[in-house]
Amino acid sequence: MPSLRLRDVSVEFPIYSGSSRSLKKLLFNTTTQGNLARDARDRITVQALTGVNLDIEHGDRLAIIGANGAGKSTLLKVLAGIYAPTHGQVHANGRISALLTASVGFNPDATGRENIINRGMYMDVRPRDMRARIDEIAEFTELGYYIDMPVRTYSSGMMIRLCFAVATSMQPEILLMDEWLAAGDAGFLSKARRRMEEFVSVSSILVLASHSLPLLAEWCNRAILLEHGRIVGAGDIAEVAACYEARQG
Amino acid sequence: MVFLASPKIESKAAVEWPAPPSAVALAWRDLAEGIAKIWMWPALALQDVKLRYRGSVLGPFWMTISMMVMVAGMGVVYSQLFRMEIGTYLPFLAVGLIVWQFIAGMITEGCETFLREAAVIQQVRIPFSIHAYRSVFRNLVVLAHSLLIIPFGIVIFSIPVGWRLWEVVPALLVLSINGVWISILLGMVSARFRDVPPIMASLLQALFFLTPIIWPLSALKEWQIIATANPFFAAVDVLRAPLIGVPTADSSWAILLLTTSIGCLVSFALFARFRSRIAYWI
Repeated sequence: MPSLRLRDVSVEFPIYSGSSRSLKKLLFNTTTQGNLARDARDRITVQALTGVNLDIEHGDRLAIIGANGAGKSTLLKVLAGIYAPTHGQVHANGRISALLTASVGFNPDATGRENIINRGMYMDVRPRDMRARIDEIAEFTELGYYIDMPVRTYSSGMMIRLCFAVATSMQPEILLMDEWLAAGDAGFLSKARRRMEEFVSVSSILVLASHSLPLLAEWCNRAILLEHGRIVGAGDIAEVAACYEARQG
Repeated sequence: MVFLASPKIESKAAVEWPAPPSAVALAWRDLAEGIAKIWMWPALALQDVKLRYRGSVLGPFWMTISMMVMVAGMGVVYSQLFRMEIGTYLPFLAVGLIVWQFIAGMITEGCETFLREAAVIQQVRIPFSIHAYRSVFRNLVVLAHSLLIIPFGIVIFSIPVGWRLWEVVPALLVLSINGVWISILLGMVSARFRDVPPIMASLLQALFFLTPIIWPLSALKEWQIIATANPFFAAVDVLRAPLIGVPTADSSWAILLLTTSIGCLVSFALFARFRSRIAYWI
């Protein structure tokens, strides 16, 4: 059974200022000691997540609610295995697909088709299997002949179409999504929504981060509320949403 | 703070938590899983080469041709300077430059191993080693294009190659292994310290002149040790010597293998220690 578990997870981001990015300064300062050394090595860290405990089981449609900077995206990246937590443990079981941003590491010089193949490879699908799906994906995007143009010529809306179409062409067990889909145009959105419905209905776990409550209420059945990197509320989506609104209020 | 406890999401002590694997085991697994994805990194590397030369008629041969022009010009002047037969000097210079370009390419692109794939590393979880294998393979593909001039050279200069040509295989293998540890090591260091790529670029330029590529080892007379002890000479020599039909220097393989072992050990130790930080650095 797919599951995602976090135990006492904390994430600290080092913020490297211009000088602590420099090897020359680091070497120079460690040999001379004194105040300069402290300057160069004085790393400011941002505590993005603190002591997060979470169990997500088969069938859960979890909403991550929180204001900007509450740690929603960081939590998604920890769940996706991109950031190893600085403290605590993550236990992921199941095939994960993460739709975090619309660009998903597209190579701007490669064509839409080539990027579909690449994205497939990153998601562990071999090029030959991906080629079988390429026409279906291209059709869904409605990109027309743009599919054979380099991705750098795409508008951001076109980029989102391509990304969405590729990402939803495979069936993950665990789907992690950040709120970015809303940037598509209305026509595509309704199409995307239908596809999302199919997609969500077959995936075992959905985690959706957003601060749009109507969107979350539609897709999710439970929720956690993040504030300054801590879980301050958890439970039924309506309950948590009400709590969030009250605290925002 | 309000906490709306929910029995479903609250921590379950009953769930078994196996001890997390050690950093060394994770690093090892990363390298092995990367190798296993052999259907992936060569395809990505070939695409890199294709994209780099898209829109250019000559493609990767452009570099080969520009180098041949340079070799022809330099060959005439430097063979006089070093009092060497032009028939001996030209193949020496041409093959030396090709091999150097391969080694230098692995080092300069090695610095970019993780930086250039930042967008991918930030989006999907794939073994970090994939990026290193991809970089090395890309340089092998470029090298293969340059090496196409070798058969012509062998015929024109009637180079006495025979079974020794097979030495190219272990040489390429060992150089590629070096490419991997260099890519991982420099890739991590450059991700953390952004001034490393330009430092490496100027270092490489100095090393190019310190390594016998445009000048023959014999020009050093009794001081040949200062060149033969240089691991870069060893690296160039093991691939160049069989291709131009001269004996490999006695020390080359030993020095190269020693460098490879030390490099792999250091690189692996740092990879195990800092692998989980790469995503934070880029």
